[in-house]
Amino acid sequence: MPITPEHVGRRYPVTKPYLVSQAKIDEFRMAVGDRTTGPQAPGTFAMVIGALAWDGLFADAELGLGLHRTMHADQRFAWSRQLRAGDEINAVLVVDKVRNRGNVDMITVTVELSTTDGEQVCTATSTLIHTREEA
Amino acid sequence: MARTPLTEGDGFGPVEVRVTRTDLVRYAGASGDFNPIHHSDRAARELGLDTPIAHGMWTMGRALSEVSAWLESTGRTPDDLAGYFVRFTRPVPVPDTAEGTAITIAGRVVTVVDDLAVVQLEVSLDDQTVLGNAKVEVRA
Repeated sequence: MPITPEHVGRRYPVTKPYLVSQAKIDEFRMAVGDRTTGPQAPGTFAMVIGALAWDGLFADAELGLGLHRTMHADQRFAWSRQLRAGDEINAVLVVDKVRNRGNVDMITVTVELSTTDGEQVCTATSTLIHTREEA
Repeated sequence: MARTPLTEGDGFGPVEVRVTRTDLVRYAGASGDFNPIHHSDRAARELGLDTPIAHGMWTMGRALSEVSAWLESTGRTPDDLAGYFVRFTRPVPVPDTAEGTAITIAGRVVTVVDDLAVVQLEVSLDDQTVLGNAKVEVRA
């Protein structure tokens, strides 16, 4: 069974809380060439946690998705603020949109990041182009 | 530091940034994205590519670092970032050479409406856009 528009609205259980560490922020900063001097993580650090939420999507046997057959087509972030060391973050993934064309699926997913205290921090929306395995 | 108001035409660049295979390995570790297409010649060849390509999220993040450095010079912090969108239009091949691949990054404020400035990014490889419709929204 491939992913179809019937899966729009499917929500995955909240991921295990992710504790943001200064060491991980520093490592990520170096990897993307960030030179800011404040305590905030770089904006795209949100995807480190977002990608953990993607694992639930790709582990959903009903959808038959393969990460190695997936291309990232576009990416959007909406931030209330940036992540900082000490933030404990929950991530929830929702399937927003699915279009099937031949053996190609266009899938839009949104990951909502919020603190375990309930403060909304970031919405990360991704469009993925997935090629189904030939039957 | 006082915030300098942002107006149309403000911005930075183009700046040239080089990316080597080691940079991709570093990004893989930092981000947790170990798709071998970003470090393995064999995996790239199996997908019909001549060489591994940069993570789209590396390019998106690297471009944002230039935006954030420029915004800091205007008295802003990363918390003044409100939104960011890119389309991954063209891959950035990164052959295993000492010099790697050079991309250029530039940003320019195109509109300021209701205290929100929109910074249009031009991120190119050999004068061809790699991030399409790339826009950062900044609290002006």
